[in-house]
Amino acid sequence: MSIPLLICDDSAMARKQVKRAIPDGWDVEITLATNGVEGIEAIRSGKGEMVFLDLTMPELDGYGVLEKVKAEGHKSIIIVISADIQPEARERVMGLGALDFVKKPIDGKKLTEVLNKYGLL
Amino acid sequence: MSEQLALTEDQRDCLQEVVNVAMGQAGDSLARFLEVFIHLSVPRIRLVAKEDLGTELEGLVGGVGSKVSGVSQGFYHIEDGKGIRGEAIVVFNDTSFKELADLLAYDEELTDAAEKELLMDVTNVLNGACLNGIGEQIETELAYSPPTILGQHVPISDLLEHEKLSWGHALLVEISYTLEDRSFNCTMFLLMPGESILVMKEELDKLLEDL
Repeated sequence: MSIPLLICDDSAMARKQVKRAIPDGWDVEITLATNGVEGIEAIRSGKGEMVFLDLTMPELDGYGVLEKVKAEGHKSIIIVISADIQPEARERVMGLGALDFVKKPIDGKKLTEVLNKYGLL
Repeated sequence: MSEQLALTEDQRDCLQEVVNVAMGQAGDSLARFLEVFIHLSVPRIRLVAKEDLGTELEGLVGGVGSKVSGVSQGFYHIEDGKGIRGEAIVVFNDTSFKELADLLAYDEELTDAAEKELLMDVTNVLNGACLNGIGEQIETELAYSPPTILGQHVPISDLLEHEKLSWGHALLVEISYTLEDRSFNCTMFLLMPGESILVMKEELDKLLEDL
């Protein structure tokens, strides 16, 4: 059965880049969200078992999404994909329950490596 | 002319993401320099007419009458004069200097000269990372002219009066760097005039085609 995968990013270009970086043959059902509010709604309706989450977004940013996911007890596996490469940004999202952090611009090989590392493929 | 210069929604989205990546790199450099966490927000992009620039900038940095200090640095395509060119303008609000001096453990009195030095240091940190970041993504090597102080403790509209603006419309990109729990706020504006926008639009289309 395909895994419900949510791509949450305010940039259409970034969403396309992430989509293109998804490993071939990975059986996922993709939902797109353009800000954190849409993202958390999609997660509530079960569309985000796996989430690729941007940080800098209008309405609700990635930190806000992570906080809500934690508070509401969703079991989503969240990988943050962000241009905010400050070591502290990484520490913060890991502290908020993200599984890992991948920097932008996204590199398909790197994403596959991370997914493999956690046995997600 | 302005219709021709306007970005399509795809181009605007693409430029915003390019700037977002560059801002992340510049934010990281500034965070390392000041040893703090920098809060980043979504960059804003708009096309402005020369006569509206002062008002636009006032709106972006805290309204009419708020005093700022600023540095400008030109950038241009390294190979010819017809490519991308523009200005990177780094603006501090007046309250930021004391914060900055604190963070850098700057003991001496904050004279005009000391403030100039702080302005230049932060400008170099931000501009280097940000402009390189943009250049890398659009595969254009950018060169820079030396930074110059535009003004200290003046209304932002005065900051740019000193300059001979030779364009009718320009693309204005606003990148904001803030510190949590402190009043430090530093804004970087990229201004790309007239024909340079057309070159940028071509570069953005190339990136979009590659998707």
